[in-house]
Amino acid sequence: MTQVSTTISKEKCFEQLLLGKTVKRVPGQYLSGSEGWLEAVRAEALENARALNFPSDRHDDWRFTDLSPLFQHGFQPVSSFAKLTPGDIEKFLIPGSTRLVFVDGCYDAGLSELGFSGSAGAHGVTVSSLVERIGDVQVETYFARQASFKQDAFAALNTRFFEDGAFVHVTGEAAAPIHILHVATRREAPSAIYPRCLVVMEPDSRATVVEDYAGLEDGVNFSDAVTEVVLKDDAQLQHVRVQRDEKNAFHIGHCSVAVGRGSVYAATSLAFGARVSRHDLHAVQMGEGAEIRLNGLALITGRQIADTHTRIDHAFPRGKSVQLHKCIADGAAHAIFNGKVIVHPGAAGTDSSQSSRNLLLSGKARIDTQPQLEIFNDDVKCKHGATVGQIDADSLFFLRSRGFSEERARNLLSHAFAAEIIIKIPVPSLVESLSRTILDRMSGVRT
Amino acid sequence: MSSAIQNLVNQPYKHGFVTDIETETVPKGLSEDVIRLISKKKNEPEWLLEFRLAAYRHWLTMEEPAWASVSYPRIDFQDIIYFAQPKPKKQLASMDEVDPELRRTFDKLGVPLHEQKLMTGVAVDVIFDSVSVTTTYKAKLAEIGIIFCSFSEAVHEHPELVKQYLGSVVPSGDNFYAALNSAVFTDGSFCFIPKGTKCPMDLSTYFRINTEGSGQFERTLIIAEEGSSVCYLEGCTAPQFDTNQLHAAVVELVALDNADIKYSTVQNWYAGDENGKGGIYNFVTKRGLCKGVNSKISWTQVETGSAITWKYPSCVLLGDNSIGEFYSVALTNHMQQADTGSKMIHLGRNTRSRIISKGISAGRSSNSYRGLVKIGSRATGARNYSQCDSMLIGNSCGANTFPTIDVQNATAQVEHEASTSKIGEDQMFFFAQRGIGSEEAVSMIINGFCKDVFVHLPMEFAVEATKLLGLKLEGSVG
Repeated sequence: MTQVSTTISKEKCFEQLLLGKTVKRVPGQYLSGSEGWLEAVRAEALENARALNFPSDRHDDWRFTDLSPLFQHGFQPVSSFAKLTPGDIEKFLIPGSTRLVFVDGCYDAGLSELGFSGSAGAHGVTVSSLVERIGDVQVETYFARQASFKQDAFAALNTRFFEDGAFVHVTGEAAAPIHILHVATRREAPSAIYPRCLVVMEPDSRATVVEDYAGLEDGVNFSDAVTEVVLKDDAQLQHVRVQRDEKNAFHIGHCSVAVGRGSVYAATSLAFGARVSRHDLHAVQMGEGAEIRLNGLALITGRQIADTHTRIDHAFPRGKSVQLHKCIADGAAHAIFNGKVIVHPGAAGTDSSQSSRNLLLSGKARIDTQPQLEIFNDDVKCKHGATVGQIDADSLFFLRSRGFSEERARNLLSHAFAAEIIIKIPVPSLVESLSRTILDRMSGVRT
Repeated sequence: MSSAIQNLVNQPYKHGFVTDIETETVPKGLSEDVIRLISKKKNEPEWLLEFRLAAYRHWLTMEEPAWASVSYPRIDFQDIIYFAQPKPKKQLASMDEVDPELRRTFDKLGVPLHEQKLMTGVAVDVIFDSVSVTTTYKAKLAEIGIIFCSFSEAVHEHPELVKQYLGSVVPSGDNFYAALNSAVFTDGSFCFIPKGTKCPMDLSTYFRINTEGSGQFERTLIIAEEGSSVCYLEGCTAPQFDTNQLHAAVVELVALDNADIKYSTVQNWYAGDENGKGGIYNFVTKRGLCKGVNSKISWTQVETGSAITWKYPSCVLLGDNSIGEFYSVALTNHMQQADTGSKMIHLGRNTRSRIISKGISAGRSSNSYRGLVKIGSRATGARNYSQCDSMLIGNSCGANTFPTIDVQNATAQVEHEASTSKIGEDQMFFFAQRGIGSEEAVSMIINGFCKDVFVHLPMEFAVEATKLLGLKLEGSVG
C-alpha cells in the first residue's frame, strides 16, 4: 500500500487540520453531543486554535524545533476503524496490567483489558474510555482545566478534535500498573490523531500509569496528544510516558500536572521514535510540600528531532523537585531540552535540582539544552547543571583493554548512559523490554 | 533578613554630582540631519557618514528587542540628545590646559588627568558626555608603536585601520542598539597594538555622562596584532538625575594570531533611587573576535550600577586553539534590573572557553544570567565550562538563569552549573561566634562569593571593585 502524500505549505497544513472533524466510527462510542459543556469547550478551543496558528521559529519556545517536515503534509482525520488482532499488539503489552487500547485515537474495547477496574469504584480504581464517562462529574470538573489550550495551538487542536481518550480515576491503591496504549496504523493518506488522557488521583491514592505511543507500520501520521493529571492531597503517581512511534510519524505531546499538598508526582518520559517529536510537561504545585520528580530520555538517530520542554512551578512552601534529563543523539539527529524551574515569591524552603546530561555520538548530530532557573524567593536551595559530551575515553579504554570491540564498548557505554533513566520505571517487564530495544538500536538493529 | 544586611545594601551613590560646565549640544531627536550634523561637527570623512546613514536606515527597520527579562517604559528615541560636548575654550596644547572645571570633576572621581598624579602605569582616555577630553601617556605609547587615542582622532589619523576593522566584529545591523550606536556614535577609544608588542602599561577609558537628557553612544575598538598583548580597563559613572538616560555602547575587540586581550570593566552608572526613579539604561554590545590561532580574549566585569543592564560580552572563537573567558559579578539593589551573561561561539578547532558569573540581588531587584555556548560543527575538540551562581539578599528580589547550550560537534565537552543561595542565619552565627560583626561578616561572605571573579581583575581594579561592593553594601548596624 503506498501512501498518498502531497507537499503543501505551513498555512495549508494548518487549514487542513482545522477542517478535521470528530467522526463517528464505532456505533455507541462517540460523543452524543448532549454534554453541552463539552461542546462549549470544543468551540472555544477551535477559536483559540484558529487565532494561535502554528508557532513560528520566532517563538522563543519553538526556535530550535524545526517543524517544517510536519508542514509538508496535509493530514486527514481518520475515518475508518482499523481492526487489529491481539497478536498485532502483543509486543507492546505489559503482563498483568490493566489496559486501555486505542487504535488511531479510537477506543478498542476488544483489545483492552479492564480487569476489575471496569466496574466503577472496585478496588478504588476506575479505568475507562473518556467518552463512556463523559457525564462523570470528575470529567466535567477536571477536563481541559490543566492543559492550557489558550496558549498552545496543539493543545487547542486536540481539545477540539479528540475523539476519545483514557480516563483514570483512583481513590485507593491501584495494584496493577495501568497501561494506556495508543497504536497508530498505516493509512492511505497522512492522518491526524488526537490522543487524550485524564488522570484524577483522590487524596491518599497510589497508582502507576504507563502512557504508551507506538506505531504498527511505518506511515506518515501526526499524533497530537494531551494528558491532564490531577493529584489531590497526599496522592502518589508514577507516570511513565513512552513515545515509540514509527520513524515517519510526528508526535506533539502536552502534559499538564497539578500536584496537591504533600503529593508526589514522579514521571519518566522516553522519546525514541518519530521524525519530529515534542513533549511539553508542565507541573504546578498546588499545595505545601508537593514533590515533583522528572526523568527524561531522548534517544534518537537519523534525521530525527526530539524536543522536550518541561516547566516546574513552585508556588507553595517547602516543595521539592528533582529532575534528570538525558539526550543521546546519533546520526544527524537533533535533540532539544528546555527545562524551566520557577520559584514563586511564596515558595519559601523550596529545594530544587535539575540536571541535563547529553551524549553526542556523531559528528552531524546536534544538541541544544537550556536549563532555566527563575527564582523570586531567597529562602531556597536551587541548583542546575548541564553537560554535553561524548563517550568518556577512559571508560572506553577500560572496556577495550578487557577485550571488548570498539563498537561493543561504545554500545555498552551508551546503553549504560540511557539505563540510568530506564531503571527508574517502576514496571520491571517494561524496563526489560525497553532495555532490549535500546541495546538493539545501539547495535543498529531496528526492532 | 537581618537589619544589618538591610543596612548594608542601602548606600547612597557618591558619584551623583553634576559638573557645571558650558555644554554644546545638538537639539533632541534623531534623523538623518542630526547624523549629518554630528558627522560634520566631527569633521568626518565621507565613508564614515555613509556607514552611519546605512546603519540608521537599517535601524529604522528593526524592532526593539523584548526577550530580555527586564521591563521599562518604552524609550522615546526622539527625546534624547545625541551629541553633547563641553564647549572648547581654545585649542588644547597640553594637559594643563584642560578646563579646570573638568579637571576638578575627574579629580573628584579619582581619575586625575595629570600624568604625574596618575596611578603609575595606567594610560587613560577620558570621555565626557560625547567627546574624549584627553588621553594620557599617548606620546610615550606611540614610541613603541602603540596607538591609543580617541576614536575621532583615529578616524583622522589612521583611517585605514578604522575602515578595516570598524563593524568587522559587531556589524552595524547586528542588533537594535548596535545599529543605533553605529548611526550616532560620537567618540570612544581606539587602541592598536602592533605585532609582537606587549603593552607596557594598562590602558583605560573612563566614561562620564554629565548632561541631563543626553545619551552616550561610544565606540571602542581594540586591535591586537600577531603576538601582542594588552590589558584594558573601563570605568563609568554618571550624575543623579530623575530621568532615565540611555547608554548604548559598542565594543569590538580583534585578536590576531597569538594575541591576548584582557578587557575589564567596573560599571557604576547611576542606578536610580530606591523607587527606581532615574538611572542609566545600559544597553551595550561587546564582542571579541579571536581571529588568529592561539589568540585569547578575556572579559571581566563588575556591574554594580545602571537602572537596567543589558549586556552580553561575547567571544567568537574563530582561530584554532583560541580561548575565550568571561568573569562577571553583577550586583543589583532596589529596583535595578540586570540581564547579563556571555556568548561563546566556538568555530575553530580545540577552542576553549570559560564562563564564571556571580549574581547578587537585593531589594526588589532582578538579576538574570543569560548565556549561549555554541559549538559549531567544525569546532572539533572544543571545551566549555560555565558556572553561574546567584545569591539572594531579601525575599522580594529575583534571580534567573537562562543558559543555552547548542552543540553541533560530537567531540565537544560542555558543562554548565548553577546554584542559588542566600546568606544563611547559620553562616552569620558562625561569624558571630568568632567575634566578627554582622557587617563585616556579610562583606566577607560576599567577597568570598565573588573571589573567583575578583582574582581576574587587575590589581587597581580589584581594590576598587572590593571597595565598590563594600560601599554598596555598607552601612551602620541598626
